[in-house]
Amino acid sequence: MKISGAHVISVPQERAYALLQDPAVLGRSMPGCDALEKIGENEYHMKMKMVLASMNGLFDGKVRITDANPFSSFRLIVEGAGKIGFMRGNGLLTLAPLENGTNVQYEGSVEVGGTIAAVGQRLLDTTSRMLIKRFFDKLSTEIAASGDKAGSALPA
Amino acid sequence: MATTTVKPETLVGKRIRRREDPRLITGTATYVDDIKMPGMHHACIVRSPQAAARIKGLNIKPALDRPGVVAVFTGEDVKDVPSVPCVAQLPGLRQPHHHVLAQDRVYFVGHPVAVVVATDRYIAADAADAVEVDYEELPAVADPEKALAAGAPAIHPQWPDNTAFTFHQEGGDVEKAFREADVIVKQRITSQRLVPNAMETRGVVADWRAAERSLTLYSSSQAPHLLRSLLASIFGIPENRLRVVAPEVGGGFGSKIDIYAEDMLMTFVSQRINKPVKWVESRRENFLCTIHGRGHVDYYELAAKRDGTMLGLKLKIIQDLGAYLQLLTPAIPTLSVLMMPGLYKFKNISADVIGAFTNCVPTDAYRGAGRPEATHGIERMVDILAAELKMDPAELRLKNFPAPDEFPFATATGLAYDSGNYALPLKTALDEVGYADLRREQKQGREQGKLLGIGMSAYGEICAFGPTPATPTGGWESATVKIEPSGKVTIMTGASPHGQGEETTFAQIAADELGVDIDDVVVLHGDTSLVQYGIGTFGSRGTAIGGTALYYALQELKSKIKKFGATLLESDEVSLVGGSVVHEASGKSVSFSKIAAEAYRPMKLPPNTQPGLVATHFWEPPNFTFPFGAHVVVTEVDRDTGQIAIRRYVAVDDCGKLINPLIVSGQVHGGVAQGLGQALWEQAVYDDNGQLLTGEFTDYAIPRAHMMPWIESSHTETPSPVNPLGVKGVGEAGTIGCSPAVVNSVVDALSHLGVRHLDMPLTPEKIWKLIQAGGRA
Amino acid sequence: MIPQEFEYSAPGTLQEALQLIAGGERKVLAGGMSLIPMMKLRLAAPEHVVDLGRVPGLNYITESGGTIRIGATTTHHEIEMAPLVRGRCPLLAEAASRIGDIQVRNRGTIGGSIAHADPAADYPASLLALEGQVRLVSANSDRTVAASDFFLDPFTTAIEPGEIVSEIVLPAEEGSEGYRYEKLAHPASGFAVVGVAARIKKTGGKISFARIGVTGMAAHAFRALNAEKLLEGGATIDEAVATIGEGEEANSDLYASADYRQHLARVHARRAISVALTRAT
Ligand SMILES: Cc1cc2nc3c(=O)[nH]c(=O)nc-3n(C[C@H](O)[C@H](O)[C@H](O)COP(=O)(O)OP(=O)(O)OC[C@H]3O[C@@H](n4cnc5c(N)ncnc54)[C@H](O)[C@@H]3O)c2cc1C
Repeated sequence: MKISGAHVISVPQERAYALLQDPAVLGRSMPGCDALEKIGENEYHMKMKMVLASMNGLFDGKVRITDANPFSSFRLIVEGAGKIGFMRGNGLLTLAPLENGTNVQYEGSVEVGGTIAAVGQRLLDTTSRMLIKRFFDKLSTEIAASGDKAGSALPA
Repeated sequence: MATTTVKPETLVGKRIRRREDPRLITGTATYVDDIKMPGMHHACIVRSPQAAARIKGLNIKPALDRPGVVAVFTGEDVKDVPSVPCVAQLPGLRQPHHHVLAQDRVYFVGHPVAVVVATDRYIAADAADAVEVDYEELPAVADPEKALAAGAPAIHPQWPDNTAFTFHQEGGDVEKAFREADVIVKQRITSQRLVPNAMETRGVVADWRAAERSLTLYSSSQAPHLLRSLLASIFGIPENRLRVVAPEVGGGFGSKIDIYAEDMLMTFVSQRINKPVKWVESRRENFLCTIHGRGHVDYYELAAKRDGTMLGLKLKIIQDLGAYLQLLTPAIPTLSVLMMPGLYKFKNISADVIGAFTNCVPTDAYRGAGRPEATHGIERMVDILAAELKMDPAELRLKNFPAPDEFPFATATGLAYDSGNYALPLKTALDEVGYADLRREQKQGREQGKLLGIGMSAYGEICAFGPTPATPTGGWESATVKIEPSGKVTIMTGASPHGQGEETTFAQIAADELGVDIDDVVVLHGDTSLVQYGIGTFGSRGTAIGGTALYYALQELKSKIKKFGATLLESDEVSLVGGSVVHEASGKSVSFSKIAAEAYRPMKLPPNTQPGLVATHFWEPPNFTFPFGAHVVVTEVDRDTGQIAIRRYVAVDDCGKLINPLIVSGQVHGGVAQGLGQALWEQAVYDDNGQLLTGEFTDYAIPRAHMMPWIESSHTETPSPVNPLGVKGVGEAGTIGCSPAVVNSVVDALSHLGVRHLDMPLTPEKIWKLIQAGGRA
Repeated sequence: MIPQEFEYSAPGTLQEALQLIAGGERKVLAGGMSLIPMMKLRLAAPEHVVDLGRVPGLNYITESGGTIRIGATTTHHEIEMAPLVRGRCPLLAEAASRIGDIQVRNRGTIGGSIAHADPAADYPASLLALEGQVRLVSANSDRTVAASDFFLDPFTTAIEPGEIVSEIVLPAEEGSEGYRYEKLAHPASGFAVVGVAARIKKTGGKISFARIGVTGMAAHAFRALNAEKLLEGGATIDEAVATIGEGEEANSDLYASADYRQHLARVHARRAISVALTRAT
């Protein structure tokens, strides 16, 4: 399934670019995810607990960052598998400056497999959008909380 | 000796309620899942969530460690078990070894990877969840045309073109026909993948007794003897030590003819654990792992004269086979080829079939099996031609039918249609629906923006499979009739009814022939240790072949009864009247029960006669039978939403002689329901990764009672000369006649907008978009 | 189709039930029409299920002073058939009658339906159009939330851990008011591809009051506020419904694309308003 959309982040483009690739920030912002653990260059191990209505699934997988084109775009790949199936999100994030922040546009696809694919297609679109929205909302909270210590969030 | 004989009313032709229904309605029938045995274990199968992947690692320990788990078997354990069988053969057919558990790769979502055996079902299910499988995902392809395209991922690495077979058939001179044509119409027509969805999912109980070296297998099967013979050769268990029982079977629609990996796997497991083991398919598994039906992409070209005379037909079929070949998989599209001329006279055809592997569950026979696809195709093409010629579609059909005196009619595909009066059901249906009035109403309505459609199909089908040379499973059927010493009658049929009502229709035939009460007749089936041998129930063959075998067995018994009667009456001048043997001159008679008793304790045997009243007959039919009919459907399309409402559904079917019109109606209704399902709602949708997106009843819409229109069903009766009962078969007719009539009707409703064709299912959005685009797709 | 092992409690009082779920980890079971299928598919694997089925005093329909109260475990069928609902809140009865099939209506409950908050469920459209309220109780709290603040996202509501829906509170409809629930049911699940609930009052032949709730179209049910205002301001039905869905992101799935859903919302709104208008006196 194709996904696309845009969200505004209230920091300048370079900061936004750094934050969006900061594993600590990403880990805290991704719904159901606590932390990311580095396993390679731009590659992290992820454990995600998805709770949605009665559904309750644990996914084990990876987050990868590729095609980095500093400060204007990069690709974020999230893959996870668990008992209830697997999911894969792949999005190209494009950043553009705004007067008081950065516009983050994303374009990509979400694929699911296993039981969630067989019984969830009706809800995939709306729930994917909700999860992406939650990600950006959490990110905004993170940004607000991190204040001017943002410099430390730059990747090593 | 009594002197009065009353000829009871004959039962054949009467609407008699099904004698199997009380146990079904009261919930006292025994299905596979009702079977319990001492020491019985339960199996749960671990299945792949991936459509194409290499199995990098498999850890069964977490499952084995759970209390109550007895064994876990994987591909390695079963690598020497022979392939799941496919009995259909075609020249050059590429047949992948279909292991009962995946070896190093999986080929479709649902592919069995391991089997967990435990002391109870719940433990087995939890343990199956604990098995860890590490997959390395491979590119998958789920669409048959994409699978055939250059550069597509190979389903089976050894055959990178994903082609299992190609098949060509010709009749007449199709090139000449196309040269001489005034008009040629072309259309791509699809018949989507469907999930058969029997109400009872599959199930197996395997009981291996090592001390006796014998196996009893309960399986929800349409063909228990076939299952036994194939299992016997696969496992090297002699057939006389292998008993297969198909207990109550809750529908099959073709999907239970197959021998499945699970039948074999449970046999394997029972042999290994030396205990009975049960596996019952979940609905999820049924969607993923029981065969699907249809899966055609067809390219049609129809050539005709300007006056509407059809000259020839070209057809290219791309059949989505799935990842493996099940029992009859490759044969199904060849049936479409046989049926491609429909009911029309033209004698020039050419057909090419390409069987394409995909990363999906295999396709195989589903109600109609090849014939709905062909009928849908030709009946759509006739409407497209009618539109091109601006001719009335009914008139065009009537012009191209062979006349009743042209039968047997040799078709371009090499068949001999047995008997027919094709114009009669069509004219009857059009009269019933009020065709001329509806056309007027349609014309007036259009001026007010109303979308009314009148669609028809004139369908034929090939039934009573069939002569053995044409039927991979064997084409005969058998019956044994036993008259017990008390005069009660027991029939053992090789057919294996599972909803067709033969416990009733066969009893009607026997009661009439023997002149006994229908309550004195019992019909047994589905147990190989009880029934002599048989082929099974599929391809609308039960009554036409099984009923005929019964008829001949009854004739043998009747002559024996007469002999006993003659001996008792001490005269050869006797006849059998209403069950009694009568000496006409004197009016003296002996009753049926007296003869039955005498046959088992004869004081005096008739000459050259053995005691007892048992006869067995195996009947090999000389030809198929060819039922036909016409369905006319009136639809109204909601311009704002694209929703379709069926205002009238008129079905006039000719299945030869009717044994029980009530049961025939039931078959027509059920068939039409499944035809409507295909036309309007059902579709197995795989995404590009081979994930089945309509994998449950939340997304896969099968018709329910409240979605059904009122079906106005009636019959014409053109007896078949192929069998003495004159019957043809009706199990699949409704499905075959339905989908083209519905689609023709909706296309007709939109034709003034320029709509020429619509692929199934006719979802409202599809229709709405077409209306929005002014008819252009 | 066998759920994972779970513990099961069937408390006999509301207090006991609320104590059991106070930790927030335990799952409440009402009609089971949504929860049980999820458990059988193993999409849900609660360790402990607390059945509300034997809790007395959660199944009722009452009216006092123009306020109708419906207990959380009241089934769809009971709502559809109750003379009180049919007479005093017919929009809700009509919506209930369109849910799923008879088996689902016999088991499924209004509390379970709104707590589950499927974006295609039928009730939310009516609850919004009726300006209803949801009462939430826990072991140590009792609060009432407006329906418009209750449905937050797909499967996401204002219910806090430890809380259950105890009742739905609705103002009785006036006898002169016209109402209608229009729905395109998905042929498989029965859920609303789009459902629109409309209430209309007329004064002097003109629309003086309009309430429109839309379900199925977007992430959660919403009220078509602009359309309501336009109708109340004398606009035509077509003008009013043309605004429905503006600013909402429409759902899309195999059965209906976002564009089509958006269009259906307008068509069904037009139909619902038209019928409601003819019913209004
Ligand atoms: C075949 C089928 C067709 C359907 N068609 C439709 C349809 O057309 N329209 C439609 O709207 N719905 C439809 N449904 C859903 C149906 O309406 C369910 O009844 C409803 O969604 C859940 O109610 P329940 O009482 O069964 O809740 P349950 O399944 O028992 O619970 C559902 C969820 O709500 C929670 N819950 C239950 N009660 C409470 C409470 N009092 N307080 C807090 N949380 C609670 C549970 O913990 C669970 O998370 C259909 C369902 C099926 C199976």
